[in-house]
Amino acid sequence: MRILVAGGGSLGLQAAQRLGADGHDVTIIELSSARASAIRQLGLATVRGDAAVAATLEAAGALRAQALIACTASDEENLLISFVAKRHFAIHRVVALVNRAENAWLFGESWGVDAAVSPTAALLSMIEQESSP
Amino acid sequence: MQVIIMGCGRSGSALASRLETEGDVVTLLDPDESAADRLPVGFKGRFIHGSGTSRTLLEDADIAHAEAFVALSPSDSANIVAARTARDHYRVPRVFSRLFDPARAPIYSELGIATVGSVQTNVNRVHHLLHHRGLEPELTFGNGETMLVRSFIPDYLGGRRVAELNVAGEIQVVEIGRAGHSSVPEGTSVLQPGDFVSFIVASGSLGRLRSFLDRTWS
Repeated sequence: MRILVAGGGSLGLQAAQRLGADGHDVTIIELSSARASAIRQLGLATVRGDAAVAATLEAAGALRAQALIACTASDEENLLISFVAKRHFAIHRVVALVNRAENAWLFGESWGVDAAVSPTAALLSMIEQESSP
Repeated sequence: MQVIIMGCGRSGSALASRLETEGDVVTLLDPDESAADRLPVGFKGRFIHGSGTSRTLLEDADIAHAEAFVALSPSDSANIVAARTARDHYRVPRVFSRLFDPARAPIYSELGIATVGSVQTNVNRVHHLLHHRGLEPELTFGNGETMLVRSFIPDYLGGRRVAELNVAGEIQVVEIGRAGHSSVPEGTSVLQPGDFVSFIVASGSLGRLRSFLDRTWS
């Protein structure tokens, strides 16, 4: 499966490496040129650019991608990237990272998000399960 | 009018202060608590410390009853997400957003959100001022019905006669500066690119003169 990972931070990098090891065709999109070349040196396909701009997604192969992971450190960027991915390229599966739990309510169909992942919510639910009487 | 302003920076605080003076009910949202220091002493509007995308804070700001939402934070993406949420989720009738990055303009127009103050607008304006000196009146006469403006003649008007620029009752070329000398032209005088020309213009015709001098003016 062809997968785009928008945001080459720690999470995006690990996801890309893991998916690549599983045999998927993964491309990382990273805004910072320094970070992009560092990732490229790890042997991962990398496109430098703003993933919320349609031309960048297209250069990364969005027309043939089945899935996109929006995992930058900014929730608003993740929403815009998801929106462009869904609206312009009809990418089948769009998964977005929620950095701040208070923004979780925004992550839905109106921004093209199929699934939102909130580490904070996941952690809290673990604690709540453990501490339930 | 009840207005919510996201971002209490230079623009947000100045707009808030002006609207409040004019009697509007203003609520500001800013994640930086010290941003409230930019508001004038005695400001009667509300300042809420927090993000413009937090549902709790937006509802605390009574967004359901707001008549306008203006996104002026320093982040383009925060502005567009908040502006669209205000319009589509809370049905705020008038929504404007600041946009810095011209590359993001297509998303704004796709979402139908009006933008202000973009880098592109500033570039166009400065470009215009450099080429046409802005056509600000140097003198006004009477109660401002007529004015004197001066402008360089652009290349594409070189070779035209003065009479072609004169419009009866609206625009009159009264002086031409060329190579350090000034003269009073006749209708048959021929303009050269780079001439610095004085016009008497009726105030309502300034736009028409601008369109003569700058075909890109909009």
